[in-house]
This record gives sequence, C-alpha cells and structure tokens, in this order.
Amino acid sequence: MLNYIWAALLISAFVFAGVSDIRDVSRDTYRNGQPLPVELAFPEGIADSARTPVRIRIDAGVYQDFYGTEERPAAGYDGVLLRTDEGMVLRFDAGAALPEPLETIRGVSRSNDDELQGALEEPVSPAPGVGDDPPTAEAAVLFEPVRFVKMTAIGAAALDFAETAAGIAIGLIGVLALFLGVMKIAEEAGIIFAIVRLVRPVLRPLFPEVPEDHPALGMIALNLTANIFGLGNAATPFGIKAMEELQRLNPSEDTATNPMVMLLAMNTASVQLVPPVLLLALLGLQINRLIFAIIITTGLSLLVAIVAAKLYGKLPGSRASDPNQGQRPGGRAPGGGASGHGEG
Amino acid sequence: MEAARELIGLFSAFVIPVILIGFPLYGLYKRVPVYETFVEGAKEGFGVAVRIIPYLVAILFAIGMFRASGAMEALITLLNPVLGPIGFPAEVLPMAIIRPLTGSGSAGLVADMVARYGEDSLFVKMAAVMFGSTETTFYVVAVYFGAVNIKRTRHAIPAGLTADIAAMLFAVWVVRLLFG
Repeated sequence: MLNYIWAALLISAFVFAGVSDIRDVSRDTYRNGQPLPVELAFPEGIADSARTPVRIRIDAGVYQDFYGTEERPAAGYDGVLLRTDEGMVLRFDAGAALPEPLETIRGVSRSNDDELQGALEEPVSPAPGVGDDPPTAEAAVLFEPVRFVKMTAIGAAALDFAETAAGIAIGLIGVLALFLGVMKIAEEAGIIFAIVRLVRPVLRPLFPEVPEDHPALGMIALNLTANIFGLGNAATPFGIKAMEELQRLNPSEDTATNPMVMLLAMNTASVQLVPPVLLLALLGLQINRLIFAIIITTGLSLLVAIVAAKLYGKLPGSRASDPNQGQRPGGRAPGGGASGHGEG
Repeated sequence: MEAARELIGLFSAFVIPVILIGFPLYGLYKRVPVYETFVEGAKEGFGVAVRIIPYLVAILFAIGMFRASGAMEALITLLNPVLGPIGFPAEVLPMAIIRPLTGSGSAGLVADMVARYGEDSLFVKMAAVMFGSTETTFYVVAVYFGAVNIKRTRHAIPAGLTADIAAMLFAVWVVRLLFG
C-alpha cells in the first residue's frame, strides 16, 4: 500500500509541476523578454552616484494588461537605481509586498539578498518635477526570464524536506535517550509488569496476538497514556519501545503484524484530552470552547481506527501477508523469535 | 467542563515528572542500579533516531514534492463536487488533506485560516478540531515502523487513513452541532 501511495505522490508531483509549467509557457505568464513599463521618482534628486534611491510606481491598469492578471500592485515601491558595468539595474527593496506574478519573478530575478531586480531598458532621462515634486522618469524594466518554476520548486522541495527529515530524526535523540533510559529502569524494577497486569483486561481484546504477560502491553499503555495527556514528546519513545517489543514477537523481519497495525492505527487517531500545545499557541483561550468537540471527535475516530484495523486485518490480502498466519493467537512462529530478538 | 479541563491540565503537568522521578525512585527501592540501567537504556536513543532517518526522508521528501507541485490545489478542485453535497465545506478541505501529510504544514494552515476567517469562524473551529483530534499519519508510520525496520506495512495505512477521514467528517459534524 505504502508503495502505491509513495509512487502516487511522486508521479502526481511530476505531472502537476509539468502541466503547470507548460501552461505558463503557453500563456507566457511571466512575459519573458518583455520589459514592464514603470515610472520612477527621485525623492533625493538625481546624483551621478552608483546608487540612487527611487520610488517605483507601477500603473495598475498597465500592470493588469501587461501580465493579464487581476492582481493590483501597491501605490509605490521603494528601491534603488544602480549603475553597473552592464548598465542600469533597478532593484526593489527587500520585503516589498509584490503582486503575482512579480512575487514569483522575485524568486528568479533576484540579488544576493532576495530583492527583486531587473535591467533598465531605456536610458533614464528624468523630467524635472513640478513645484516640490521630485523629478520623475518613464522607464521599462526587464526581469530575468522565468522558466519551469514548478519543476525547480519540486526539486528544491525534495532537497529541503530530506534535510528536514534528518533534522527531525536527529532532534529526537535526546528525548529518545531520556525516556528509553527511564524505561529500562522501569523494566528492571518490574514497573512495566505491574502496568501490564493493570491494563491487561482493556488491552488484551485489542491485541489478542500478544501473550498475556508480555511487556509490550505495558509499553502500549504508557504510549496511549502519554497521547491522552497531549505529551507527544513522551508518546513517541513509548510507542517506539512498544513497537520494539512487538517486533520481538514478530517472526518476520520487515512485515508488520496485526498488533503493530493496531497500535499504529490507534496512534494516528491520537486520543487526546489535552489539546496540543501548538493549537493552544495558535488559538489562545478559544481552545477552551473547542476541547469538548476535540474529545468527541478523537474518541469517535479512535473507535473507527480500532474497527478498521480489525476489519482490514480480516481481508484475504492482509491474511495472506500476516507474518503470524497459521499460528494460534499469542503464539510465536517456530524459529522466528531469534530473528526478532536480533532487532536492536 | 471548565473544572474538568483544569483537572486534566493539572494531571498532565504531573505525568512526565512522575515518570521521570517516580520510576527511578521505585527502581532504587527495588535495588536496581538505577544510574547504570538508565545509561544502558539511553544508549539506544541514538540508534533508534538514526534508524528512522531513511524512512522519514523517503516519506517527507515525497510529501514535500507533492505540496510544491500544486497537486494539492488540483486535488481540492477534484474533491469539491463530491464533498459539497455531504455538507463538507470547501474552506476546510485543504486542512483535511494536509493534516495526515504534515504536522507543521497543517499548523501553518490553521494560523492562515485564523487570519483569513477570524478566530470565531466556524471554519477555523472545524480546522482546529481536525488538527487536535488526529495525528500526522504518515509521520507516525515512518517513525514507528522505521524504528523496527518494518517495510511492509500491510493494512496500517488504510486503517490510519480511514480513521483520519472519519475524524475529518466527525469534526465538521460535531462543530456544526455544537456551534453551528
């Protein structure tokens, strides 16, 4: 299943990026090679220096006609006029709120600090301002051609997310070590066994394949408890520990057993009595009115998760791939234990 | 309701300290060499984290490309005619799709919706309930199964996604019922 979903994500990313880019080319969304008419005002007058501050005005009607868009540019943008060896360059100030497609063009036509910039087509010949008004000039600015935005974007996203993924995993090391250390003490002291006896009546029916006194049940109980109290950081190590215990019972090395699927389904449904900290940060005290709705929803979806894990496990396809097939519930496949124990 | 929430909040504040202090104390009472045992167990932390990396990279980079390609918008246009008739508002559909894929992305979306529709709007409430009542399914799959090198996930993803879809529908109905 994961194979298909994974492939579907990649293929649809490629197809949609491709379609979007081809549409851009056929519509010439970015008007590559055509200069955009702008009006420049020189609030500090015109000096012969390499850097002249300017106020850039883009007429809304001209802009909408030029790019064939409904977006409106702001009344004016601050920027500078640069004299370089290759001619005049118009640079918008960093952080300017640009309308599309200029915003996208900024991603390509940019200076080192991510400012939008383009070459000035016509030599600027300013007319002196009337009264106190600063001198102004008509000009046209040519941005770098924008091609295959989405293709570039998905490539960049892939690299970006690969880095994020490794970062997330590395970031887990400390919390994992902390809780795995304490769990080891709990195991040695017999706490896990006590928890197992406590939760056995509730969890056994959900995990019939796990032997009665197995520590996995204790880890599962701790994992679910941490989830209920909104302690995601603690829930993850407990969940991983529970998976490791379940893997010891697994005759196969790389195929999930029914109890593993059940644990996973229950975790994705995430029973919660305490709202996640993130939500609290986003909504503030508004959350007090929502918590009841969250508890009802999460409870109902937990039921669905349990029923779905049980039902889907009975489908012929799931039965055929069950590592424990043909075994009595709670049993261990002959010779399977050794490979299970081999797992870290 | 308020008192119950207070109580739960109080309780959850104590869960981690009780585990982190209570367990070693009890271990000491049981004559377990607590420090050595802790270090012994903690050693595994690094191995587990490293073991997860390939699984997380595989899942996250695919999701990243999917999001960057604009396929999400296409999916939303595709699903709208189906979901409209059952009373599922188009405004919260992006949330329902992003939630199982990325946690940070969906949190960003809630913030976005607060800015666009206002804190008090029904859409924000629905999105918040969706966010609070489900998990990032694909992340959970990668981390939990990655930690024990499970590659064939069998019916885990269908079961998880079924629960997600149910949670999204429940969220809409429950919020309509309570606030609508």
